[in-house]
Amino acid sequence: MLGYVARRLAMAVGTVLAAVVISFLLVHISDSTPGAVRLGPGATEAQIAAENEVLGWNRPLVVQFFDYLGDLVRGDLGTSLIDGRSIGADLADRVPVTASIALFATLLSGVVGVCIGVTAAVRGGRVSRFLMTGSGVALSLPAFWVGVLLVYVLAIQTGLFPATGYVEFATDPAGWATSLAIPVLTLTVGGAAIIARTANAGMREALAQEHIRTLRAMGTPEWRIRYVHALRFASLPVVSVLGIQFIALFGGSVIIENLFALPGLGQAGQFAAASSDIPALIGVVVVATVVVVITNLLLDLLVAALDPKVRTA
Amino acid sequence: MSVLPLDAADDVATEPVPPAQRRRGLPYFLRRPGGLFGAVWLVFMLAASLTASLWRPYEVAEQDLANRLALPSGAHLLGTDPLGRDLLSRIFSAGAEPLLAAAVTVLVAFGIGLPLALIAAERGRRVERVISRVTEVFLALPATILLLAVIGVIGVRTFIIMAILGVLISAAVYRVMLGVAQSVRQRLYVDAARVNGLGSLRVNLVHVLPSMATVVAVQAAQLYGIGLLIVAGLAFLGFGPAEPAPSWGFMIQDASSYVFNAPWLLVPTGLVLALTVVAANELADAIAGKASIARTPTRRKRPLARAIAAARGDAAPADPAAILEVRDLDVSVDDGPALVTGVSFTLRPGRVLGLVGESGCGKTMTARSLMGLLPDGVSVSGGSILWQGRELVALPDKELTAIRGREIAMISQEPMVALDPMFSIAYQLVQPLRRIRGAGKAEARTIAAELLRQVGIVDAERVLKSYPHELSGGMAQRVAIALALTGEPKLLIADEPTTALDVTVQAEILSLLRALVRDTGLSVVIVSHDLGVVADICDDVAVMYAGAVVEDGSAVAVLDEPAHPYTMALLGANPHVPDGEPVPERLASIPGTVPPPGSWPTGCRFAGRCQFVQEKCTVPFPALPAHGAGSVLCVRVDEIARAGATWEADDIGAEVAPGAGLTAEPIATEPAATAGGIR
Ligand code: SF4
Repeated sequence: MLGYVARRLAMAVGTVLAAVVISFLLVHISDSTPGAVRLGPGATEAQIAAENEVLGWNRPLVVQFFDYLGDLVRGDLGTSLIDGRSIGADLADRVPVTASIALFATLLSGVVGVCIGVTAAVRGGRVSRFLMTGSGVALSLPAFWVGVLLVYVLAIQTGLFPATGYVEFATDPAGWATSLAIPVLTLTVGGAAIIARTANAGMREALAQEHIRTLRAMGTPEWRIRYVHALRFASLPVVSVLGIQFIALFGGSVIIENLFALPGLGQAGQFAAASSDIPALIGVVVVATVVVVITNLLLDLLVAALDPKVRTA
Repeated sequence: MSVLPLDAADDVATEPVPPAQRRRGLPYFLRRPGGLFGAVWLVFMLAASLTASLWRPYEVAEQDLANRLALPSGAHLLGTDPLGRDLLSRIFSAGAEPLLAAAVTVLVAFGIGLPLALIAAERGRRVERVISRVTEVFLALPATILLLAVIGVIGVRTFIIMAILGVLISAAVYRVMLGVAQSVRQRLYVDAARVNGLGSLRVNLVHVLPSMATVVAVQAAQLYGIGLLIVAGLAFLGFGPAEPAPSWGFMIQDASSYVFNAPWLLVPTGLVLALTVVAANELADAIAGKASIARTPTRRKRPLARAIAAARGDAAPADPAAILEVRDLDVSVDDGPALVTGVSFTLRPGRVLGLVGESGCGKTMTARSLMGLLPDGVSVSGGSILWQGRELVALPDKELTAIRGREIAMISQEPMVALDPMFSIAYQLVQPLRRIRGAGKAEARTIAAELLRQVGIVDAERVLKSYPHELSGGMAQRVAIALALTGEPKLLIADEPTTALDVTVQAEILSLLRALVRDTGLSVVIVSHDLGVVADICDDVAVMYAGAVVEDGSAVAVLDEPAHPYTMALLGANPHVPDGEPVPERLASIPGTVPPPGSWPTGCRFAGRCQFVQEKCTVPFPALPAHGAGSVLCVRVDEIARAGATWEADDIGAEVAPGAGLTAEPIATEPAATAGGIR
């Protein structure tokens, strides 16, 4: 078990390092330079060259890399080329927004998806076909389109929730919750569909297991067979996919944040990409990778705890 | 872990499918409505988008200022956008880029992932480790955000960006393909091909890749859908073709700002994009053969049996001492062939009855019908099962549930999978003890420990705390027996209880069963293909062949003086082995195979393999009394007995047509065999 944890940790550090290297190389093989970005389109060649000198861009790549790495270890992500604000502080404000959307959407997807998938597996026949076909369609719908549709129905037609915008939790908890409602629902449409398919497949596999027949032969009540034994068996794949969901939603939040004007990590990524704000871009990549890696670690531990084969090893 | 939901729909077929599954005409996946829709829609979209400049009614930037935000009309079939531009023209002119760019992603991802998987599967552990570690890192990178970084650096160059996405996703492709490639390679014919001196490239091209085709197609179609969504998503964020060039994503972005006053704008573009992604996914599902959902049976139906029972009701057994009396039992696939016909036997308290025969003779079906635990789509179609004077056939499932575990219990042939892997042994024993015996928690645990000791487990406390995977096969079977005993049943059905175990463990389990019968007065129906087991433990034996009992009587009589040629053949194939010595492959020397259900000959079903077959064997005949209260189902039984003929094991080989393989299948594969009949 200890070796396992150590291996996972090493993987995690390696992944973050890889993210830094990749984004670093990406920046340096391109023809744009930080000086040009900072000074904007009006600057002359000489001005840009001087600015690049100031920014240390002309130093050897290796030196710059270890410089950056050193800052990173100290928690310093540098400053934006556009407005000079601290990238670390900016992202620290943004991560909770993205994380809460991704987390709520994942949890809601889990509940809805498991209900749908299990119902379909248990009922079979036409109910199953209807639910699973519906999931297949829901999973293919583009989130940004679903989001606008939901805005139309839930905000414009019924006025239940605000269409866009973000309210700080500290200022107004209720407003915060309603401002997240439509984004979370939007992500849940596709998320629940994926979980429904996973839960359905898991339940069907579980119910076909030999040990379920043993339970039947013991006269175990059907509800117990389904909702204790089969569901427990199906919980492993469902939890794994829920973790993948969280990661996908976290990384993919950029579209939803753009649509609903939410000040999250994805929005920062979009701004930075649009303005070629190189340090900000690297910062977003690094922070997102760290979150993904931590989620993966937690997920591995959770799956290990759920699976007696791993737990008792 | 993928950042993209590529492997999230993990119910796609990752099992390799043999290439030879084709029939003439349409490929199988086009016969499913979803697959047909997917293929037709994708082809239509591609054709319509690539030729859009030839047929579109308006130029993409052509403005009809009088008709801004128009609803569909004759002039603008899908309406117009805020600048009065024709939506139909714009949607299809925008289609080419996402449709092609998503294909680039798929090509790059498979172009990298697939060869890597083939190499890793071929080169052994060390290479596989290295590649896998690297791809794990790739999988953990947040792909969408990395793409943004790429855009920030190189600008909006859709095809290059999607190619880079392909590189990132190749890790996920590799992971799925590696599993498939490994399992394909494990199959024999790849080894055979290698022995035949084919080069590595040839082996991969000729043998491995074709077997992976289905999985590749499924994954590629799914990935294509994801690629479409990503191209459109990037355009939605403004990282797509610049205005006035149209793009699906930006058209939806545009629509979202007019959603207050012109909601229609949202519909055409969104629908076309959604339908295209749905088409890709439906195609993937169809290729994977996922329509099997449709075959999920709803509920266990036993219509025929119910009618039978209504006509008969409970009855007194013919043998007053019998605890179980089975009469003329028929089991068949619903709307399909019979699996078991006219099976009759009687069991008295404290006796052990053996059901014996080769795989596919209906032994397991017979045993499972006693508890009403037939597989879905299989049911009792006639006859009666009298349990303590009570008719079990057509008893509602609810009442059967009350009998299961309490009166009749069962142990199965695969002890390692018979226990729930997710729960401790203690939980699995305590739970029925509380339910059936009404014991309290602590009391139930004490009883559980006692039961474990009763089945010969010394350190009961440790075993109680373990999980099934921590037990050996023999230990697991003991636990399974203890579990069966929790309800203090009167009848134990043991389906090949020792087949999966080592020889020495087999003997231990058998002597445990014998002790239980002696000490508790339990009755046992034991299913076995092994006459050694029967000779060891059974009082009575019923020999089954092709769904019927061909000979039954007391074990001593049947084994010592077999009357039916099939029994003789079984005994000939079953040399007596002293205890503790390795058992040879049994039943390996009767030529031919058991005819599958639905193709049984009229008259004697053994005729095709019998040494004594004659013309008269092929017309139906009744069973004859034999062995006292037993019977034998052979029309020539008297002639054979008079002549003192025996089954000549040595002469057989010469008579067998080449190709009639031997049935060396010691582990019963009856469910599979009958499933073959169902199809
Ligand atoms: S009836 Fe004929 S074919 Fe069948 S077992 Fe007897 S002798 Fe053989």
